[in-house]
Amino acid sequence: MSAPVLRVRLTAEYGKRSVLRDICLDLCAGDALGMVGSSGAGKTTLVMALLGLLAWRGGKASGEVLIHGRNLLSMTEREVRRIRGRLISLIPQSPMTALNPAVTLRAHFEAAWRAHDSQGRDALASRMRDVLEEVQLPAGDEGFLRRKPGQISVGQAQRVLIALALLHRPSILIADEPTSALDPVTQAEIVKLLQQLTRRHGVALLYISHDLVSVVQLCDRLAVLHAGTIAECVTIAQIEQARHPATLALFGSLPVPVRVLLAHTASRETAKEDRWGRDLVSPQQRC
Amino acid sequence: MKKLLTAVFLLLLVLVAVFTLSWSRWSYAAQDREAILAPTTAVHPAGTDELGRDRLVRTAAALLIGLTGATLAAAISIVVAAGVGLLAGFSPRWIAAALMFFSDGFLSLPWLFFLMMVRSLLPLTASPLMTAVTTFVVLAFLGWPAFARAIYRGALGMRGSEWMIQGRASGLTTWQLMRLHVVPQLRSLIWPQFLICVPAFIMAEANLGALGLGVGEPIPSWGAMLMELDNTALLVSSHWVYLPIALLVVVLMILESFASEVKVYA
Repeated sequence: MSAPVLRVRLTAEYGKRSVLRDICLDLCAGDALGMVGSSGAGKTTLVMALLGLLAWRGGKASGEVLIHGRNLLSMTEREVRRIRGRLISLIPQSPMTALNPAVTLRAHFEAAWRAHDSQGRDALASRMRDVLEEVQLPAGDEGFLRRKPGQISVGQAQRVLIALALLHRPSILIADEPTSALDPVTQAEIVKLLQQLTRRHGVALLYISHDLVSVVQLCDRLAVLHAGTIAECVTIAQIEQARHPATLALFGSLPVPVRVLLAHTASRETAKEDRWGRDLVSPQQRC
Repeated sequence: MKKLLTAVFLLLLVLVAVFTLSWSRWSYAAQDREAILAPTTAVHPAGTDELGRDRLVRTAAALLIGLTGATLAAAISIVVAAGVGLLAGFSPRWIAAALMFFSDGFLSLPWLFFLMMVRSLLPLTASPLMTAVTTFVVLAFLGWPAFARAIYRGALGMRGSEWMIQGRASGLTTWQLMRLHVVPQLRSLIWPQFLICVPAFIMAEANLGALGLGVGEPIPSWGAMLMELDNTALLVSSHWVYLPIALLVVVLMILESFASEVKVYA
């Protein structure tokens, strides 16, 4: 197994209130780890800590967040900024509020590009064509990029945010409930899109969601965050062996038994045995 | 459409005032001793006041002085408020607390006494222009804290907003965040405050003038002109006495309609 691109040993608190305790997780290139948990379990705090942004919400993270072996938590803000958006990117939860309503889409892309790349407009134009095509947005359409976030649909806004996250080809992608604000059809499209991206580019994906169905479709491991710790971590293939009450409660919320869900997903995936062509034998230790 | 019409109407009023001032044979301070408290005549279409000064010219001048003064005062007030509010919004908590304490202190000043104090500090020989400038500067000075608080709230909202977090997560530099996110939003934050500010200052000047604390004679101001209204004998003699107050109400209504129609970004 290759060295993990993201290795987390993390504790976080807001003032004296502990929110995350001894979070351990490793992600290799091409891994897709689904993280579920009820509201208040600490999912958003985890996202902010992984991006080195917890201080902005008045929190403090300790331990280590190793990105390609370098600890984010011991870096200066200047160094962390160079990593955010370049090596580790975020797909935020609510597409309509994550884009500035007063600013055109093009301006969003230009700013995100210049944050890490001093090559001029031509380089940006060619990268944008690729990335917009990838997320199935009108790539050559200037009119589309001149629009403001209020003038596009929620689904398009989420695609724009995914395109922004992919702009610098990051090796780690954090998706914070990327489908929760979308209608079911768009949800399915976005899940499919993320699936293609992880497969094609070998991006390590941390997929945080309420929605167990999309986790089963998209991920190869499932971690259950409960009251600030990872209560359980299982592979999707062995999902039925989960025993923790929090996990079972999640399964209980599904309209069908998890076995049925798994079988259904497997039947749609032709090469299910080893979707990513990697060893899935002992993933338990990697969480 | 409605906004455009009101804007055109205000522009027309200003143009008429400018026209009146430049074409009339009277200046705002000139006394026509032959026609004291005159009703409508060929030379004085809106009559004269008790010193024989042309009421139409004085009202036109008051309109222009009131609008210009209030606009400039509002601009100063908003610039200060934006500076303090944004600094507080994007600084560490203790700096924000100190700045807001400072602006609360300002809000708690007994402003009427403060104004009297400032006016009494001016020498009696201070030129009328000086009193006019002082009045509006003091208004600006007293007006900013309320707006600073509103802009501080807006800045806090911006700081914690999803798009700001998204910007940070994309690795934008502080400079980029300011340029891409804060500046475009600033307009929608500041503009409404400004539009609320202008009529408030016109009203404040009119009230101060009526108390004798505003713009000094012979410069015409709404406050000074409203003082005429406490002379009952005058009220009976000519309806033109009501011209300044009628115009004041019209201008305030126009300005208030601007303030209520501002588009605010969520």
